[in-house]
Amino acid sequence: MTHARALQSLMRAVTPLAASMNINEVADLFLAAEHRAFLSLPVVDEHNRPLGLVSRATLQDIFMQRFGRDLRGRHPVGEVMNQAPLIVSLETSLEQAAKQVTAQLQYPITEDFILIDAQGQYCGLGTVLDLLKAMEARVAQRNRVLRQALVDLKESQAQLLQSEKMASLGQMVAGVAHELNTPLGYVKNNVQLLRELSEPLFGLAAAQARLGQCLNDPDCDEASLAQALQAAEQARQQAAPELLAEDLQQLYGDTLYGLEQIAELVVGLKDFARLDRAMSEEVDLNDCIRSALLIARNHIKDKVEVVQQLGELPRIACAPSQINQVLLNLLTNAAQAIEGVGRIQIRSWADTQGVHVSLQDNGRGMPPEVLAKIFDPFFTTKPVGQGTGLGLSISYKIVQDHGGQIRVASEPGRGTRFLVSLPLPATVAMKRSA
Amino acid sequence: MSAPVRILFVDDEERILRSLALQFRRHYDVLTESDPLRALQRLREEHIHVLVSDQRMPQMSGAQLLAEAREIAPNTLRILLTGYSDLDAAVEALNNGGIFRYLTKPWDQQEMAFTLRQAAELAVRQAQPLQAIASEGLSAPLSLLLLDDEPDTLAVVGEFCVAGGHRLLRARNLAEAMLQLNNEGADILVSDLKLAGEDTAPLLKTLAQAHPRLLSLVVTPFQDTQALLRLVNEAQIFRYLPKPIRRGLFEKGLKAAAEQALIWRAQPQQVVTRLAEVPRDEREQEKVGSLMGMLGRLRERLIA
Repeated sequence: MTHARALQSLMRAVTPLAASMNINEVADLFLAAEHRAFLSLPVVDEHNRPLGLVSRATLQDIFMQRFGRDLRGRHPVGEVMNQAPLIVSLETSLEQAAKQVTAQLQYPITEDFILIDAQGQYCGLGTVLDLLKAMEARVAQRNRVLRQALVDLKESQAQLLQSEKMASLGQMVAGVAHELNTPLGYVKNNVQLLRELSEPLFGLAAAQARLGQCLNDPDCDEASLAQALQAAEQARQQAAPELLAEDLQQLYGDTLYGLEQIAELVVGLKDFARLDRAMSEEVDLNDCIRSALLIARNHIKDKVEVVQQLGELPRIACAPSQINQVLLNLLTNAAQAIEGVGRIQIRSWADTQGVHVSLQDNGRGMPPEVLAKIFDPFFTTKPVGQGTGLGLSISYKIVQDHGGQIRVASEPGRGTRFLVSLPLPATVAMKRSA
Repeated sequence: MSAPVRILFVDDEERILRSLALQFRRHYDVLTESDPLRALQRLREEHIHVLVSDQRMPQMSGAQLLAEAREIAPNTLRILLTGYSDLDAAVEALNNGGIFRYLTKPWDQQEMAFTLRQAAELAVRQAQPLQAIASEGLSAPLSLLLLDDEPDTLAVVGEFCVAGGHRLLRARNLAEAMLQLNNEGADILVSDLKLAGEDTAPLLKTLAQAHPRLLSLVVTPFQDTQALLRLVNEAQIFRYLPKPIRRGLFEKGLKAAAEQALIWRAQPQQVVTRLAEVPRDEREQEKVGSLMGMLGRLRERLIA
């Protein structure tokens, strides 16, 4: 046992005294070199059981009295020993021993403590100083371990945060990439169609140019003029510009619309990530909501109707990419809570306290025991591998770091409502109250 | 061809529909619907040869639409056209919708035109309704070749064969599989994508070309939309069942395959409405070519 060994290493072998030894003899022993380190010497009975401790201080007190040595030098040491010494079993742990010793210790320290084995037999002496040194070493070692554990913990927490962020980023990018495929699909096809459809127009232009040339040329005879006329008419029929016009208009219009859609998604992606802006800036939270909605559209568009009631909000200082992450997390959670078709209601408003965003879904809701844990790290109701269980705990931390609050109410079968509140900056609040 | 081939495109994005209509209006009678419910209604009212549907739509998913379309008009060839690589949707579209092709957005103009031409040809070729002869002689014994060592798969397939009086053939590797196919022939193939460390996809793709009547059920622990896409388009697989095997689903798939095999058996050769694409990967193309040679005898027997 490591505990026993800890005390064992403190133990010093000292030959115990018999109670019948006289004080003079014991005084001589105290002067011996091997006992110099001790404040006291142990006394045992014939069965090697500890009877008490004779302290150096007691003997000094006796010898300092006038004629003390003459009067009491021949008395047995048993008369002057401490009959209730500190006895510590070798079985006890270092901490317990320290506790026991410090509890019974009195100032000034005049004695050591006796170490006994499990059977109560005397084994050796321990000194208070050794015990304290051992304790100090142990505490220092514990501190080192704790500090290392703290460093490790911080590192792995940072890694987890990062991987959660990357996971949600990856999900988001994949979603938007797929979202791009629809406009990309018709834009690509339209451009190919435009090329095909406009091809005959070049033929028409060439035929008409030839006709014009013929008309301007006085040498051009009837036959070639008639031929040129016919060719131009044929090209015109083939190109059918009056029929084509409508198709081309439509194709150009749709193509431009598609390109705008693609641009909007790309801008949305950039806005969402905000990698190009400062950490903290004055932001309209409604922009964050719209940005998160754009990104989340992939998850929610085909089954969820989103109702927005966005009030006018003062701009507040925050890290928009983090707030976006929170809103996207809440949105995707809400969409996942909805089985089949459902509705998400997003409201935003401001009051004297701050800016508030409420997200309410009519999904499956949560029982109280789940609700109580949703902000805990690693808590997830999703199957293994589908959620890190960090999304909401990170959201909670982000909002908390902004000095805000995130609250939740839920009812099984009816839905869940999250309320994110961020405080107004002090300056804004002061301006208002003034 | 007397009546023109009629193709119905369904997508919630009108611009996709306009673009497709403009591309194909010269070759086909093109119909478009942005509402899947109205598309189903049209399918009930008119004869439509080919149905091409988007996957993500507000009212219902494309896979759902295609599954319902199969009930309404089983002879209409069904094609999924999607911009999302969603494995569950693709599996549903195959297993319940029995899709002919799985196309992705943005699409290649030539490829799309080629696919629709193939589909149109097949659609026109199938003259009489298939369902009419469905119920007779369903107990005739079939041959089933199993290419999977897993006990779970064997248990379900074995039980199915015993119950239906079908013949169960097994092979431990591709060479044995070729031997079995050449010597015994098979109506249904149940295969993992890996057999004794070998990739079975080339064999599936070869069989789809050499023996379009063979129905392949793929059981696999792999979850890869791209791989599934190629198995649909290049191997015309009948079912894709993720491992671990879900018994009910597997049994249903086997039963459907047996029914289909018996229907085909009762029909002249040309009517089989399956046609696989040539694999796009060159190495796989070579592999399919060489396997095709080894399957010579099977082909001879089938043609005879």
